[in-house]
Amino acid sequence: MKKDYNSKESAEVTEKMRELVLAKIDAQIPSNLRLFIGNLAQNMNKEEIMNHVRNDDEIGKQIVAIHIKFMKAVANGHLIKAINSV
Amino acid sequence: MKKGLIITLPKSDLVTEYLSYFSEEIVSEAENKDVDLKRLTENEVNKDNFEKVLSKLDYNFIVFNGHGTSTSIKGHKEEILVEEGNNEIILKDRIIFARSCESGASLGIASVTKSKGCFIGYEMPFVFYADGNWDSIPGKDEVARLFLEPSNLVAISILKGHTAKEAHETAKRQTIKNIKKALRMEPQDAYFVVPGLWNNYESQVLHGNPKIDLNSV
Repeated sequence: MKKDYNSKESAEVTEKMRELVLAKIDAQIPSNLRLFIGNLAQNMNKEEIMNHVRNDDEIGKQIVAIHIKFMKAVANGHLIKAINSV
Repeated sequence: MKKGLIITLPKSDLVTEYLSYFSEEIVSEAENKDVDLKRLTENEVNKDNFEKVLSKLDYNFIVFNGHGTSTSIKGHKEEILVEEGNNEIILKDRIIFARSCESGASLGIASVTKSKGCFIGYEMPFVFYADGNWDSIPGKDEVARLFLEPSNLVAISILKGHTAKEAHETAKRQTIKNIKKALRMEPQDAYFVVPGLWNNYESQVLHGNPKIDLNSV
């Protein structure tokens, strides 16, 4: 079934998580890179990415969900298991 | 049904420009393997024309580039080409690779019901990052290549004669290899890129017959 960023996963996203993602984006994303997310957003620069996260709109929710999902994969060992498999 | 590839190449925004540009590697592979090929470009990627071409050529392999939803795949200027509950029957018994957001979530499942075919796609939004310095020359964009090259491998593996399962797994493995590559890049770039690659890795799905290949006609 479709994984809905706006329901269950998003409900788990706390304000602290959003702040963590914002801090990482602010500190680590180079200004020349652009983000494309499906139908919703394309060619977003760093400032636009951060604004969506701050506004907690649909695009912002997706950005946070992508980063939280990745952090969970690091924490639960799924990422390292996948890396060790190739 | 005949052995051959129909590939959609819309170019109505920067996303579809990138997808179509990188699809030239798929087109080259089809030409190298002498697989019959029909490109639908820009304005040709509309529902009426797509259905007409598919009906006439009856090729067994379709690669879609474009936007999508959980229940649809779109073409040029976001015109819906295939929609669940409407015309997904036209995908029946074929090999489908949809490089479009979310269509693997529901349309992909519906399209393989009572079918010998398969559907490889993404059940969440397909994400990629690009270097703004290269958006007029996507081919030189090594950041975008990290994302689009693995997904190309789904189609390229099928064209090389591999099964749907093998193609699906090859592309996923390459995504992980690119994560490893990205982790060796400058730390700034790595943070930005890796979560997106992981998103595409987790989101890529195979529905239907895993054993089908291009010679299964």
